[in-house]
Amino acid sequence: MSLAKVSPSRENIRSLERRRFLNGLGMGLGLTALQSLESSRLLADSPRKRSHSIDPLNPFAARAPDFAPRAKSVIFLFMVGGPSQVDTFDYKPILQSLHGKPVPEAIRKAVEATRHANVFHGCKTELMASPYQFAQYGQSGTWVSQLFPHMAKHVDDIALVYSMQSDSNNHAPASYQLHTGDVRGGKASLGSWVTYGLGTENTDLPGYVVLFDAGPLGGNANYSNGFLPPAFQPTRLRDRGLPVLDLLPPGAFADGQRQSIDLMQQLNHLHRAEHPGFAELDARIANYELAYRMQSAALNIGDFEDEPKHIHSLYGLDQSEPRTQSFARKCLLARRLVERGVRFVQLYDMPDKDGWDAHAKLTDNHDPRARWTDQSVAGLLSDLKQRGLLDSTLVVWASEFGRTPMMQGELGRQHNAAGFTIWMAGGGVKPGMRIGATDEIGLMATERPVPFRDLHATILTALGLKFEDLSFEVNGRDERITGVAGTAKPLLELLG
Amino acid sequence: MSIRMRLTSFLPSLLLLLISVDSFATADETNEFRKKAVSLLRRECVSCHGPDKQEASLRLDSQAFLLLGGDNGALLPNSKDASPDSKKSLLLERIEHSDEELLMPPKRRLSAADITTLKNWVETGARWLTEDSPLESSGAIPEPVGNAWSDPKNPIRVLFDGKRLDLWSLKPIMRPAIPSVFDVAWCRNPIDCFVLAQWERDGQVPAPPASDNVLGHRSSMDLTGLPPDFDQIQRLVTDELPDKYERWVEAYLSSPAFGVHWARLWLDVVRYSDSNGFDWDELRPSAWRYRDYTVRSLNRDIPYDRFVEQQLAGDELLNGPPRDLDEQDSLIATGYLRLGPQDNAAGLFNEQDRARSELMSDLTETTAGAMLGLTMSCCRCHDHKTDPLSHADHYRLRAFFAACQYADDVAIDLQADQKAIRSHNQKQDAEIKRVQKSIDAIESAVLARQTVKVEPKKSKELMTSVELEQVAMAESKRESLQKGKRPFTNGLLMHDKMDSVQPVFVLFAGDHRTPKDAVEPGFPSVLFPNTPIAVKPVKSTSTGRRLTLARWIASRENPWAARVIVNRIWQNYFGNGIVATPNDFGVTGALPSHPELLDYLAMELIDSGWSLKHIHRLIVASSTYRQQTIADQATQGGHEFATLRTQLRRKSAEQLRDSILHVSGLLQERAGGPPVWPVLDDATLAANPAVLDDNATKTKGWYPSPPAEQSVRSLYLIQKRTIRIPWMETFDLPENAVSCGKRECSLVAPQSLAMMNGSLSVQAAQRIAETILGEVPSSKNQQIHTAFRQILLRNPNDQEFASCRIFLESRTIVELCLVLFNTNEFAFIE
Repeated sequence: MSLAKVSPSRENIRSLERRRFLNGLGMGLGLTALQSLESSRLLADSPRKRSHSIDPLNPFAARAPDFAPRAKSVIFLFMVGGPSQVDTFDYKPILQSLHGKPVPEAIRKAVEATRHANVFHGCKTELMASPYQFAQYGQSGTWVSQLFPHMAKHVDDIALVYSMQSDSNNHAPASYQLHTGDVRGGKASLGSWVTYGLGTENTDLPGYVVLFDAGPLGGNANYSNGFLPPAFQPTRLRDRGLPVLDLLPPGAFADGQRQSIDLMQQLNHLHRAEHPGFAELDARIANYELAYRMQSAALNIGDFEDEPKHIHSLYGLDQSEPRTQSFARKCLLARRLVERGVRFVQLYDMPDKDGWDAHAKLTDNHDPRARWTDQSVAGLLSDLKQRGLLDSTLVVWASEFGRTPMMQGELGRQHNAAGFTIWMAGGGVKPGMRIGATDEIGLMATERPVPFRDLHATILTALGLKFEDLSFEVNGRDERITGVAGTAKPLLELLG
Repeated sequence: MSIRMRLTSFLPSLLLLLISVDSFATADETNEFRKKAVSLLRRECVSCHGPDKQEASLRLDSQAFLLLGGDNGALLPNSKDASPDSKKSLLLERIEHSDEELLMPPKRRLSAADITTLKNWVETGARWLTEDSPLESSGAIPEPVGNAWSDPKNPIRVLFDGKRLDLWSLKPIMRPAIPSVFDVAWCRNPIDCFVLAQWERDGQVPAPPASDNVLGHRSSMDLTGLPPDFDQIQRLVTDELPDKYERWVEAYLSSPAFGVHWARLWLDVVRYSDSNGFDWDELRPSAWRYRDYTVRSLNRDIPYDRFVEQQLAGDELLNGPPRDLDEQDSLIATGYLRLGPQDNAAGLFNEQDRARSELMSDLTETTAGAMLGLTMSCCRCHDHKTDPLSHADHYRLRAFFAACQYADDVAIDLQADQKAIRSHNQKQDAEIKRVQKSIDAIESAVLARQTVKVEPKKSKELMTSVELEQVAMAESKRESLQKGKRPFTNGLLMHDKMDSVQPVFVLFAGDHRTPKDAVEPGFPSVLFPNTPIAVKPVKSTSTGRRLTLARWIASRENPWAARVIVNRIWQNYFGNGIVATPNDFGVTGALPSHPELLDYLAMELIDSGWSLKHIHRLIVASSTYRQQTIADQATQGGHEFATLRTQLRRKSAEQLRDSILHVSGLLQERAGGPPVWPVLDDATLAANPAVLDDNATKTKGWYPSPPAEQSVRSLYLIQKRTIRIPWMETFDLPENAVSCGKRECSLVAPQSLAMMNGSLSVQAAQRIAETILGEVPSSKNQQIHTAFRQILLRNPNDQEFASCRIFLESRTIVELCLVLFNTNEFAFIE
């Protein structure tokens, strides 16, 4: 007895096509995740999916977007821990008169009827006035608190979204969601999605770079490639010491490195002659040459000596405060990276274990953090603008959530996923655009609530990507950063 | 009709209940009474507490909701609690309440007759139309609904209008006839017949057999993850007995290194990690026991059905503490249920329900993917888009885990040891008490001789030096007795809590805040739409649900389990599985390239008593496995048959690291135990700021092992979820957040940097160079030969030798060794 007749298997066909493809192309470099890219490409139902256009022999090759992009690169400034919206951009003067009084009943009821009811958990019932003065800036007359005197000068360049919401009031899940679209770990981050969609413009440098002193809460599951092929995992560049781990050989071998690589390649070519037809071998041979070039490119990127003095001062590199210097170095590095064609720079403000997580006295936390970052962020915007890079670079300033207008402990504030503020600038963003609003105490978004998937859809749209088509099949499901449900709405009005 | 359809699709078990009302005359009378009460609830309450509105988060349209209660707590008396308060029923209280504000239904008193009905109903247990889930009751068994092919009432058949039933993996596994082939001599076992028959049909030929050298190296890497050494290979080559390869394979199959290598495959599939993930990413101090259990089980060739049963329900196999090591393993194995990410901080933000719901989804999806090849994550939110799985099927599977609770305080020591520990500690306690009495006596004596009243704690100040010395001695004795008490050993375990069996609901869009209909435990409805009858657990403290699930998964009747695991094994030998998507045997997954071969292997597994080593042996012995690795364009006629060919495979992170340590002699023997922590620089550790914020219980930090103890097999390296070891990550170690059925295999430039400049290969090169210089200090020619033999397991050819000779004119032997580690030959398995 035999089973049913075997039909030509899809895998066989796939494998056939793959081999033909490889044979036709001959050698190439960066053979990466060959099989998975290949199989996902051939498995895909829709011919429009991004995986179709990825060359498995060179996954980083720059790829054409779906439509004319507004931006080519992204610098994502992540203020880890949750800066308070009501003490920075979301001016709520009524808090002054309601200081020490409970949340107005109508607002409390409105919040309790939503999935954000747990925002009252762990803090006092009384409101706390902002300890900061607010003033209006720019032609737009935008309110900014005294925390950000430098950023305040840029209010006419930036678009503010006052009505962000996340799905968890806890750091790691909310942070995972801001990076990957899902409160659980294990998904792919925005930077991985973008490099997967667009490749990068300079293959001597990584396409997706992360910069931090301490990472975001929840660790590297935030910025990882998740289920996307390892080619799209980020490279962490350090702004001090060697920029990349294991970048250079031990001192004793340094002057002989080229000789070593030459011998290695001789041996590899002899080996390859005995194993003809394997593209993997050619790819690995090419990688050693690429690695050799990366060594000088990566060393050069972190060497600021060619930057004039006024640029150092613009970012605050000449300040005496080490933490200002450190953040300034990262901002300057970010500009140098996008200038050289790096696609996505994920930059964290996390100088210590707490970030902006001001549970105890707010001013003790926010005063120094604003001081350490304000000038560098403003400097980055000015610098990008004066170099004409702001038109092609999308700058995002965001956090996993904001903080409650209610007091926590002694003059602190609790996490608030129900309503908080982010801003965007450059790359196609309509300067001076204002979107959404929170209730009168700044607790919950009431006008045009914006979930992270809408933010992701906006960023992908700015880059010229159809966010619904940017997908990758994982265990039978077409995963997207904007979710499988297809409910994301990009902020088209913000993109102008 | 449309209502009926909805019911059959979402509520197969409720349908069963309804059927049972019609089918069992003996239950009629009781059911009439229950029906009256239930329809009363429907008439009076459900419009505000039902599917449309859930005032006070309460629903009264099913037994499960009724048991769940609402914002104001439970509705029914708690039968397990004897206190008078618990006799009260909130339901009865509200329908008779004197306060008009609290009266239910609002502003309208039920008739006296209705109140009596509900009172009687509540007092007799407030049962719905029939007994509770037949899973836990011995009550009437409802008439079963058949599978989707045989029964038009099957919910999947109704839901998908009879379509989707031709999915290949749904068909029962059958032993296929072994096909006849022309080149009979090529076939060493039936695997070869299946492979060759297809090639012959397509006009293709096998590749020539690999040399002893290549085959010895390949099989050693595949069976143990380590290369053989030069001398072993030479012995194989020169061995003239016909069974030399079989003996070679047997030696590796019975080596302890076999389990160390193959455990990795399983740990990827079950997303093993030593930490919780999320903000704090706390260390799980006993997760390694599960890792070691996996190694042990594979080495002992524990039958796969047993392996599944232990992991899903090992605790339900035991009654009381483990009596032997096998029972102890059954407990440790339940660590499987604990391996997923766990958000311990959720409770701080009142998000524990979300965390619990994610734990349940994760268990459901991982179990379905790992053991069944089913993509259950799709139907967490809606009916599956392509497979014959319904939204309810996800939650039916989830319900098997509904009673799960962490059991980290359960001792895993053997029964005899527990007894000994307890009795030892009792003795210590008695002794402590005695010593304490002597201290008290001295204190009392001191206090008694005082003329004024003194606080007891000040007695020491009034003691004589002799007394002080006596007390000090006694106290020190007390301390050492306290220290001498023996602790119990705990694991990372899960068990059931009977009093916390949570009703399971189909969740709208997968969100725990929007429950829809209640479901009972159940297997995929396409095959078995009924609620299974529980295999009674051996003890009364567990529901038996997981054991029921485990026994169904690892059964002859299950069409997925055996196919899925043999496919995983095949994939690890050939680079690709017979089914290229190991976690997806559904419609969107790949079709099997050789369905008969897959079924042959699955039947071999089952008929051998689920012996995994039997499958390994068959594969490694086959001519198919013993072919040369050659690219297709080099074969005759340019034919294509890559799927079942031994491909050139880049070593995995573990194989690469372990090979480097092994050939350099740095590899340290280790037989399991707590994880080894590499030394990482501070900048790497700062990837999760929680490390900078360690706690007193030492669960959030990084605790490097002594440098001298770090060169162990990679399996033993710590796997934290939020800080990954950079070297391993560079070579594609998966993230371990979700099941990984197949590792990505990348070739990227940072790998070249890690191999050229990283301390691992540099130290290994230095170590080999030291050995070489010790053995042949003066002869550069011999040094080159020794380096080749030790690293590439062969002698250099003339051209290679000449190039190396020139290199050594200006560079060192250390650099030569480093070059050899960096060659393609070292990186790939042929």
